[in-house]
Amino acid sequence: MKKRLWVALLWGAMSVNALPIQKDEAFIQAIAKSQNSQKIILMIYTTDDCPECAYMKKKVFHDPAVEPFLTQHFEIIEKNVHRNALPDGYDYFGIPTMFFINHAGVNKETLVGSKRPKAFADDLHRIWKKK
Amino acid sequence: MKNALLVIFILGYINLFAYDTQDYKRLLETKDCVTCDLRDANLSDLDFSGSDLQRSDFRGANLSRSVFLMADLSSAKLNDVKASGTVFWKATMDDANLTRIHAKGANFKGTSLKHSDLSYADMRGTKSWKVNFTEATFVHTDFRKAELGDAKFIRNDLRSSRMDGTLLWQTHFESVQMSANQCRHAKEEEALISTDTVCH
Repeated sequence: MKKRLWVALLWGAMSVNALPIQKDEAFIQAIAKSQNSQKIILMIYTTDDCPECAYMKKKVFHDPAVEPFLTQHFEIIEKNVHRNALPDGYDYFGIPTMFFINHAGVNKETLVGSKRPKAFADDLHRIWKKK
Repeated sequence: MKNALLVIFILGYINLFAYDTQDYKRLLETKDCVTCDLRDANLSDLDFSGSDLQRSDFRGANLSRSVFLMADLSSAKLNDVKASGTVFWKATMDDANLTRIHAKGANFKGTSLKHSDLSYADMRGTKSWKVNFTEATFVHTDFRKAELGDAKFIRNDLRSSRMDGTLLWQTHFESVQMSANQCRHAKEEEALISTDTVCH
């Protein structure tokens, strides 16, 4: 019974403090930063105790197959789901979740879980092409 | 003659279900079922999140694509279970028997599998981040391409297991017996290998 309550709370926590992405401070700053470059916003949801998140941030994002293309075409926003307000409409099931959002605030694609560097690089190229 | 046929038919019908029909009904109705007989039951595509299923017997059952999020499967018998795409996220599976489980692509993130038996288990491509495998038994376990980042292997013998292409970033190996190839791969993947781990 206790466990079911935890599961319910976990789901309920996902919709707290919702605001449209266009009013999200981190999103506004990321757009301002990349105004002329037309970068895609990569918004990654993390928690402190998530090894997959650490793997993506410390290993995959800095892999030679990923980093040059990632820094050239993407602006990264990190949201800790236990500490930060999450934008409206960007719910998640599983951490990390990565949303790829264009300047208009339209979510082009969502990836859940970690990826190996080569597979993630392929995803980035595919998402960039369809922006 | 008619009576004999009827008896044969009834016996045949009974044999169709290895599981206890009362236990099966209880599980579907209440989602909790401790020490239940669920052998060969079809439990695919169902949600058992948070369920208490300790010591239940699932041998030969079909659990494909079902969700056992934070369920308690301690000491459960999961031998020969079909569990492709099943989600065991943060489940407690200590002392469980997973011999010959078919769990290709299943999600075991954050599960506790202490003292469990994974002999001949098909764990290919599983998402097994942060799993606790302390003193688990591995005989010819197939972990190929599994994601085992931040998992804990403590006092295990992995030498007969297949670990080609596994993700072992920050995976802990303490007092583990490993083959030379497994050790080389673990080091390349930035695993954390204690000095008392033996590479044969």
